[in-house]
Amino acid sequence: MIKKKITIKNSSGLHARPSAALVKTASKFSSDFFIHFYGYKVNGKSILGVMTLAAEHGAELELEFDGSDEKEAMKTITELIDNKFGLKDE
Amino acid sequence: MSKVESIDHKVISGISANSGIAIGNIVCINSNRRKVLPKSISETEVDTHLKIFKDGRSALLDELSGMLDYLDEQSGSIIDTQKQIVLDSEVEKRVESLIKNELLSSDFAVYKTFCDFIERLKESGSELFRQRIVDLENLRDRFIDVICDDDNSFSVKKGTILVTKELSPTELVSLHAEGLSGLVMEKGGITSHAALIAQSLEIPCIVSAKSATSKAFNTKGVLDGREGVLILDPEKELLDSYKSKLKKFKRAQKRLLDNINEPSETKSGTEFFLSANIEFESELNQLKKYNATNIGLLRTEGLLFSNKTAFDEQVWFYESVLSATEGSVTFRLFDVGGDKLNAKIPEEANPFLGWRGIRMLLDEKELLETQLKALLICAGKNKGRVKILVPMISVEEEIIALKAIIEELQNKLRNEGIKIDEKVALGAMIEVPSAALNAKNLAEHLDFMSIGTNDLTQYTMAVDRGNEKICSLYQQQHPAIWELIKITVEAAVKTNTEIAVCGELAGNVLGACGLVGLGIRNLSMIPNAIPRIKEELISHNDSEFNELAESFLAASNTTQIKKIFEDWRVH
Repeated sequence: MIKKKITIKNSSGLHARPSAALVKTASKFSSDFFIHFYGYKVNGKSILGVMTLAAEHGAELELEFDGSDEKEAMKTITELIDNKFGLKDE
Repeated sequence: MSKVESIDHKVISGISANSGIAIGNIVCINSNRRKVLPKSISETEVDTHLKIFKDGRSALLDELSGMLDYLDEQSGSIIDTQKQIVLDSEVEKRVESLIKNELLSSDFAVYKTFCDFIERLKESGSELFRQRIVDLENLRDRFIDVICDDDNSFSVKKGTILVTKELSPTELVSLHAEGLSGLVMEKGGITSHAALIAQSLEIPCIVSAKSATSKAFNTKGVLDGREGVLILDPEKELLDSYKSKLKKFKRAQKRLLDNINEPSETKSGTEFFLSANIEFESELNQLKKYNATNIGLLRTEGLLFSNKTAFDEQVWFYESVLSATEGSVTFRLFDVGGDKLNAKIPEEANPFLGWRGIRMLLDEKELLETQLKALLICAGKNKGRVKILVPMISVEEEIIALKAIIEELQNKLRNEGIKIDEKVALGAMIEVPSAALNAKNLAEHLDFMSIGTNDLTQYTMAVDRGNEKICSLYQQQHPAIWELIKITVEAAVKTNTEIAVCGELAGNVLGACGLVGLGIRNLSMIPNAIPRIKEELISHNDSEFNELAESFLAASNTTQIKKIFEDWRVH
């Protein structure tokens, strides 16, 4: 199992569409993926789970991956969040 | 507005979610959403209820997919997200567990599962996220309708203005097909899904209209989307004025589309050029739709994000963009911060004041030279059509350094016998105040300058627009921005350098009129803004634009500028 702290960078936070993008990407990996935030732990492959974190711009999340492709999954998800989910902010 | 306020007993007001005027019969639906009561089932019924859940889920997915035909890309992605929610693995797990382990009926299992998520969202206290609650409640109720095979839908007559507590995107699309002309909702914000779909379907819409369903009754009404008011039973005088407004609005819309093929000239016959801002290949088909010949800003960062920076991959992308149009394409060099380049580079305390754009490119020689080489080769094959735009220039030395690199690369290519464009145009983004103030010196080295009003505003006003606490200070139309633009234009005129604007200000009606008034003829914007900008620019003569720009420069704040523009426009 590996863990990593990350900050949400896009202005609207983990909103419906960013959550959708996150879950879609996470579902491509076989590893389990959980997000820890403010004492909550949600399944990162569940869009409702991710949305209900209500993580806004600047929120610090801890990502947890567990499985055979955990490293690859962590790299891809980190890039997605850092690239603001490929959504235009403006 | 004053007319409307004086008869406020007959006016329902809310927040404008989509402008436009609707005149029609009001239908008010004052029903509360269903309450689902816990129902126990026996062990023998478990399989039946699991099947009811799965069948209901596929029926709902079909229904959502069926809506996609009606919607533009943005609204389509809302539906895609809803489909993802319906298919959520946690929802499935919990619903199935409630049915199997708690022996609860399928409809209540779905109800409870969604309610648990909604409760959590309510607790979060974030306004932006609270708007999603209405969307989730709608989806939950529709899910239960489908499971119970209840037809809770209703139909409306053509021209109806609907007043309701809330509406799901599905319902809105089907009502639109029946001829709904306007929508007032008690709940939801301007980014709620129903509101976004109303925008996409061009239905005038008001949201957050408090206790609208208890105030409204079935009568004739006028919905003024822009002002965010619904007027019940309007007096004849008011009704007539809205009728003529509506007529004008419809005429304008038709003209907007007709205008696409008209020459781009002001009333005085001065030609102007509206070009497109493009980032992805998928957007290229919009060029024809809006009759845009030139791409005034091609963003290339997408290549970096998708790891397609190899020389061949770049050439392939640039060629495909060039082949989509006969006009010129302004390629902006990679405009990112260093952290996008390499995860190992530590995050900066102030990334927007940091190592980005040309500052980063001059340090990352290989990245810069590969991109320049790809562009220069494409320029050789498409003479006169490739323009190179440099982001984040703040001092003259950066341009001098870059020019030396381009010259060296051109020489190399020439020696290798590769065709080059000797006169490939080089331009700088004017997006840092120092560049605007120093434009006359920068221009000496340049073929063109392109003002990026988004970053120019950020750096001039010292505002991060993403920061909710201060984003109201992010004012692209502020007099200080106009002053900087004026200085840049004067430098361009003095040095005979081409000047363009590619920021949001160019795609805004007020902005475009002011920019033309300052003498700028090249405006680049998101393609779908082109029709309304063109409509405005062909409707006035040069001296009117000049007067407008002068009053902008004389104003002392943004509110004044907006007022000046409103007065100028109706004049």
